[in-house]
Amino acid sequence: MRDITKVRNIGISAHIDSGKTTLTERILFYTQRIHAIHEVRGKDGVGAKMDSMELERERGITICSAATYCDWKDHAINIIDTPGHVDFTIEVERALRVLDGAVLILCSVGGVQSQSITVNRQMTRYRVPRVAFINKCDRTGANPDRVIKQLREKLALNAVPIQVPMGLEGDMQGLIDLVRMKAVYFDGENGDKIREEEIPAQYQEECDIKREEMLDAVSMFSDELMEAVLEGTPTEEMIMAAIRKGTLALEFTPVMMGTAYKNKGVQLLLDAVVSYLPCPTDVENFALDLDHEEAEVKVSNISSDPLLALAFKLEDGRYGQLTYVRTYQGTLKKGDSIVNVRTGKKAKVGRLVRMHSDDMEEIDEAGAGDIVALFGIDCASGDTFTGGGDYNFSMTSMHVPAPVISLSITPIDNKAQDNMSKALNRFTKEDPTFKTFVDPETMETIISGMGELHLDVYVERMKREYKAEVTVGAPQVAYRETITQRADFNYTHKKQTGGSGQFGRVAGFIEPLEEGEYEFVDQIVGGSVPREYIPSCDKGFQKCLDKGALVGAHVTGVRCAINDGASHAVDSSDIAFQLAAMGGFKDAYLKAKPVIMEPIMKVAVEGPTEFQGSIMGSLNQRRGMIIGTNEEDAYTVIEAEVPLSEMFGYSTDLRSLTQGKAEFTMEFATYRQVPKSVAEELIAKALKNKKQ
Amino acid sequence: MLKQELIEKNPIRHLKGESDAKESSRMGLVMARAGLGKTALLVQIAMDSLMNDKQVVHVSVGQSLDKTKLWYDDMFKDIAEACKLDNAGEIHDSIMRNRMIITFNESKFSLAKLEERLHDLVQQNVIKPNCMVVDGFDFVKTDRAVLEGMREMAKTMDLQIWFSAVTTDGVDSQSAAGVPAPCNGLEDLFNTVVLLQPIAQSDCIDLKIIKGSAAVSKCGKLLKLDPKTFMIREDCK
Repeated sequence: MRDITKVRNIGISAHIDSGKTTLTERILFYTQRIHAIHEVRGKDGVGAKMDSMELERERGITICSAATYCDWKDHAINIIDTPGHVDFTIEVERALRVLDGAVLILCSVGGVQSQSITVNRQMTRYRVPRVAFINKCDRTGANPDRVIKQLREKLALNAVPIQVPMGLEGDMQGLIDLVRMKAVYFDGENGDKIREEEIPAQYQEECDIKREEMLDAVSMFSDELMEAVLEGTPTEEMIMAAIRKGTLALEFTPVMMGTAYKNKGVQLLLDAVVSYLPCPTDVENFALDLDHEEAEVKVSNISSDPLLALAFKLEDGRYGQLTYVRTYQGTLKKGDSIVNVRTGKKAKVGRLVRMHSDDMEEIDEAGAGDIVALFGIDCASGDTFTGGGDYNFSMTSMHVPAPVISLSITPIDNKAQDNMSKALNRFTKEDPTFKTFVDPETMETIISGMGELHLDVYVERMKREYKAEVTVGAPQVAYRETITQRADFNYTHKKQTGGSGQFGRVAGFIEPLEEGEYEFVDQIVGGSVPREYIPSCDKGFQKCLDKGALVGAHVTGVRCAINDGASHAVDSSDIAFQLAAMGGFKDAYLKAKPVIMEPIMKVAVEGPTEFQGSIMGSLNQRRGMIIGTNEEDAYTVIEAEVPLSEMFGYSTDLRSLTQGKAEFTMEFATYRQVPKSVAEELIAKALKNKKQ
Repeated sequence: MLKQELIEKNPIRHLKGESDAKESSRMGLVMARAGLGKTALLVQIAMDSLMNDKQVVHVSVGQSLDKTKLWYDDMFKDIAEACKLDNAGEIHDSIMRNRMIITFNESKFSLAKLEERLHDLVQQNVIKPNCMVVDGFDFVKTDRAVLEGMREMAKTMDLQIWFSAVTTDGVDSQSAAGVPAPCNGLEDLFNTVVLLQPIAQSDCIDLKIIKGSAAVSKCGKLLKLDPKTFMIREDCK
């Protein structure tokens, strides 16, 4: 089995148009996964992004597949796709979870752009060590020094160059490696022949200064190096060890440069990935112990321990359904049976493959820390697999929040209808917070999820990936109703017109329930309601919960109790008591002062300090309650609680307010009573709908 | 219990002093050794202003937003339960709208930054604070000039500012007036200085007013507080 210290699971993250596709292509070329280089940019030099997608499709390479495997100098590198939608939290979260380190690509002209800021922040949050690569040094206006300054100021990284470019823009010759103090040239048609020489005289002075700076910065992480520097005898190994230490601790970011398009610097970047980014045992990962209230337990990364693997991505490829998994501990073997922790279902590992850029390799087993793909396993993404037995751990929390927003979608034609159901089937598997159902009243398909953007992304994906054109209804917030005081009822249901009659009387009360949605209490003494009809009452109450009398929202937080009643020897029946309970509930409900509750989102807006005033203003406008601000270096985080119904279209507003420099995340916080004025509006609207 | 009664039971009434008409542009200091409830008292001070429908800025150095918010939520819950406050939920929502928390990392706090932030808030009409509490301010490392600047700010912004400080041990570190280190040389900058002390064999906490015009409250120089709600305990006199 492979040595785990020689595995690198990395992500490549980049701003649009900073050359991620080109760089990935070059990496695959130099690691001999593909055998010819095709340019992303067409001869006319326009539409690089579209071209790259066409290119992928045409050649069937899977640059954008969830994980691509390659070898570099006896190390295995798994490149994991980091999703383009940064806002899309669950997917980003999964991608960031499975990677141990990352390469941050920046354009030498564009520098640090807003998306880099976002991605960087997310990586900091998940403690992903990273190295930076300043790409496109051949472009007019290239200025790596300025980009490094931005890395320090805007991203607050301790970014220090470990290379010096020999020439910029059109006449870039190669790079000088400051660790080894060698000039590196990339010869040959595809830059694949590396030639090392002494540093040319005109760069000597600059290199000495830059090396001094680099040694100053990295010697912070190694006493041994510090001493050696003072004595003037630092060795290559010492410097590399110190850079690695600083990088892993997220306190140092080595900066490399080059141009993937002109084939310069990519091999050195691969060297750096191997030398400075962590292997699976260098980072701590945690599993949740389901037997102990999801307490965090560190995973061992040992292949002989019980299996723990996370399915992080499902893919509908040419080869059928693929499930990408990362093993955290234990070994995944062909023919073994594994257990899906969420469903408890057993499955057999059929085919186990390693994905390469344009083909795949069948393997027999995968040790801890590896990333592989499985065939024919039925699961949702985010599911955890174990070897079974009492080993009850999960890599992700089992708690799935209830959706807070819904949309109706209508396919435009029959073809779209088919594709839509295919898409929905897939999405619900991929994302546990995404749900879909058919409204029995309107017969419309409803999708629901955790936010406007969340649903937008899926609608967009339906169009793009499944060619399912749908028309989208206005988003609906999932309101709820609850009661605020106790109310008694005493209801008799009687029907005696032809046939067998119906009779049932129930008395009791409803009152607010502190925790939980619904509780049924049976306080009948002396059999005034016969035993067999008590469940009927329960059923009757529950039927009332679906639609409250105020706005037709789901009713929660109610305790229904019955304490008296009457029955008839012949006419009483299950349905009679259900109807009696429903009547009683309806009577008591309006007396119990029902109120409307709305979902409140916890919103965190992160943006440059200079915009914080206007951001707060915008939140205030939306009935937001600002909780506070947190001052970080150049930006501020503002936290607020805002009703979901007010958050529609916020991303557009925020963008125009802050020149696109701020971003926000939101998650469901709680349900809270809506203010009176809003409640009246909602009730009036519900009435109008009812009349129609 | 009604909101009004609750306001009267708040120990801070006695610190601010009813006769003292001008509450603003004052500085107060709460001192105690670690773990006695400085933050709790600061939150209580803030809560008093909030209950009176005034606006409060809570500056927290080195503590996260969520944690600070939790202080308020817990404190309010305890008080509401202990005093059986009517429509607690509504009062909670309405007063929390008047509170704003600003958190700083320990190394990132600076007077200039705070001042800028406050000006922003006022200008944007987000909040116009009447009271500011500063928790986690490092008295050991900051010099007098910063506090003088704070005082100046209190004056220009018409603010009442309350600080918390951890007492450091030392024999001759008390000033003549009895203010313990590290604030023994700074007492002239504060209108009120109080010290929290545990009372032996009792579950109450002693609030000793070392300096302050309100020292002549009807309860004398010592107030006994319930450690959970930080309300005055009558039964502990």
